[in-house]
Amino acid sequence: MSLFGTNTAFGSGGTGVFGSTTTDSHNPMKDVEVTSPPDDSISCLAFSPPTMPGNFLIGGSWANDVRCWEVQDNGQTVPKAQQMHTGPVLDVCWSDDGSKVFTASCDKTAKMWDLNSNQTIQIAQHEGPIRTIHWIKAPNYSCVMTGSWDKTLKFWDTRSPNPMMSLQMPERCYCADVVYPMAVVATAERGLIVYQLENQPSEFRRIESPLKHQHRCVAIFKDKQSKPTGFALGSIEGRVAIHYINPPNPAKDNFTFKCHRSNGTNTATPQDIYAVNAISFHPVHGTLATVGSDGRFSFWDKDARTKLKTSEQLDQPITACCFNSNGNIFAYASSYDWSKGHEYYNPQKKNYIFLRNAAEELKPRNKKW
Amino acid sequence: MAECDAEWELCKENIQPLRQGRSVSALHQALCQQQEGNHTALNQQKQAFESELRLYDGDDPLDVWVRYIKWTKQTFPQGGKESNLSVLLERTVTRFTADKKYHDDVRYIELWIEFAEGCSDPMDVYRYMQAQGIGTMQAALYIAWSEEYEKRGNIKMADSVFQDGLKCGAEPVEKLHVFHRALQARACRQMMSSMTDQQDDDDDEDVGPAEPQRSSLAELKAKGKKKAVVPINRVNASAGYARGLQFKQPLGPKQNGRLMIFDENKAPETEPQEPKFEIWTAPPIARAKENEQKAEKWTNVKMPLKSRSGLSVAVPPPKPSFQPFVEDDVQPPAVTPCKINPAVNSVLSARKPCRPEQTPLKMLQERQQMMQLQTQEDGKIREQSMYCKELLDSGATEFSFEELRAERYRQQQARKLQTGSGATDDRKPVESNAN
Repeated sequence: MSLFGTNTAFGSGGTGVFGSTTTDSHNPMKDVEVTSPPDDSISCLAFSPPTMPGNFLIGGSWANDVRCWEVQDNGQTVPKAQQMHTGPVLDVCWSDDGSKVFTASCDKTAKMWDLNSNQTIQIAQHEGPIRTIHWIKAPNYSCVMTGSWDKTLKFWDTRSPNPMMSLQMPERCYCADVVYPMAVVATAERGLIVYQLENQPSEFRRIESPLKHQHRCVAIFKDKQSKPTGFALGSIEGRVAIHYINPPNPAKDNFTFKCHRSNGTNTATPQDIYAVNAISFHPVHGTLATVGSDGRFSFWDKDARTKLKTSEQLDQPITACCFNSNGNIFAYASSYDWSKGHEYYNPQKKNYIFLRNAAEELKPRNKKW
Repeated sequence: MAECDAEWELCKENIQPLRQGRSVSALHQALCQQQEGNHTALNQQKQAFESELRLYDGDDPLDVWVRYIKWTKQTFPQGGKESNLSVLLERTVTRFTADKKYHDDVRYIELWIEFAEGCSDPMDVYRYMQAQGIGTMQAALYIAWSEEYEKRGNIKMADSVFQDGLKCGAEPVEKLHVFHRALQARACRQMMSSMTDQQDDDDDEDVGPAEPQRSSLAELKAKGKKKAVVPINRVNASAGYARGLQFKQPLGPKQNGRLMIFDENKAPETEPQEPKFEIWTAPPIARAKENEQKAEKWTNVKMPLKSRSGLSVAVPPPKPSFQPFVEDDVQPPAVTPCKINPAVNSVLSARKPCRPEQTPLKMLQERQQMMQLQTQEDGKIREQSMYCKELLDSGATEFSFEELRAERYRQQQARKLQTGSGATDDRKPVESNAN
């Protein structure tokens, strides 16, 4: 097991609860800071599945690396291992048994990382950077789904260099989510496609986008019977749409809400609108978290249609977030998301991953019907 | 190569001609690629152009657009929506309207002319150009403009356009003179032929001038005993089509004496010969985009508003009494695990009003309105996007933050390779690359 690069110090958060004497705004929520964060913007985070004991966090970054930490019950984070790509890592996911991690990168390849042996092999190849990667576990097959900027969605069985299936999309894949048997892909030019994964993946429906601006992130939610029933879609202009696949009353059930905006009530100055960078659903409560370019995260209850909490503002955008398998931990990454181009990029600025106790704050409100 | 020759033969008519001619090798390559369905190279090249548009920081941004458009025309010989050509033209043209330095740039003016030719009314575009001072010193504008007048049969205006050009001192003067003289020659010839035609008018209609010509768009005369006449039902043609028809009309009116084609340009004779050139604040509406539907009221019929349940198509059809035949090897359709309650099925749910068609005219007007609003107090919450909109939207298609950043990364890597930074190989693989 390799330690991380020597240029990051262990000093900052070895013992868990991190308290700083100065009120610097890099951690206004006073959350636990993960040790040895990546050296560049964090693009994706993923916690280990419930089939594995303990909590392991995987984070991919623009420094071409993927890091793995163990999150212990006392809040301590221990760096475990690291792997490299030859290009920035855009997405990561776990296999259902927690033994493998799949990573997708700008170098047009996807790799499978066996954590036990700490070996990686390449399992996918595209003509353009791979933007999303998801593991699909169906009763009769298992595969990895990769969505790329080459406008294709490919399915790989990890043992063969050729894809099991390749589906053409109308535009470049910008974000995707999979909850068997449903997959949603949001593409450039506001494209939105739902796939069904039973027997074999096929296109189920193309949906007209409920949002007027570029799609940035998507997350599927489940109904009370744990079946995927809809998705939340975030745009580049502070808005999230909740969309059900087959609602009894589409006009009433589907809705959008504004988020990640400033100066809510002040009409004298224009309202600043920020991009929604990621959306995550709590695995138990079904409430959702959104993180944005404004450096805040918010928790929402989509059934009660209310906001549960908004954080203080961090000094950097929040680029990624995820919940652990039992919903007790909420992880979010603070780093530059490139929302203002390269002029605002400061390579010296530190990047952080924070962990927060999510058991209480994401409990849904009582429904008002 | 031989197969590509065959390609050309097979689809000659689908290939739009370019004024400056097509490069044969590019044409062959484009046709071969389309034949093989080789989209990836095309996509990569397109992506390369899009990235260049956003990352360019030199003095001449127009150059990137010009090259992009040229490549698009060569690569998509059939034109059409896939090529995105009209979008590209529109974007380029509107992007640099405020940029004075391009107002006399030949490339820019040629792009404007191409854009105008694709519009539903090129005259508006030319007038706008003149009002804005775009290309007023270039002969190309006046030549194209007068050509447009000539197409409509308005020789007098065509001539006056040339006079305007000469007055303004457009360059190159010689070219202007040449085209002007050609126009005058054509006008004379036309007058001569129309004078001789008047004498021949008494002749049989079937034989007009020396060679027998089939009168176009007239009724087909039945031959033989059967007197069945083919009903000609000309659909109400779109503006462009109609214009193409009357193209013939002014040049040879006496050949089809029976036919009276409605000439929309002649109709408003009350228009003064020299229309006032209004100051156009914005470029006119772009070409009639055929496949984009405008939001229209569907019918004027109002349905009586019964109870809610009355509106919805509630009752599912009764089950058939027989068992529909199911083939053995047909798998039952895969259903997503969602319950659809067939009883509650309001088919026509309220639809949000769709955004009216965005035309360049509207976009520029909106921008002006925004500027005005920002100086006023209007009590409404104004919004401001906190991201690099211009960077994302500069090309023909949008970019995301990650694509921008990935492009930059790729360029940096390419530069590193070029300068041959061998030092990175010595370092341990664990250490990450700091950008």
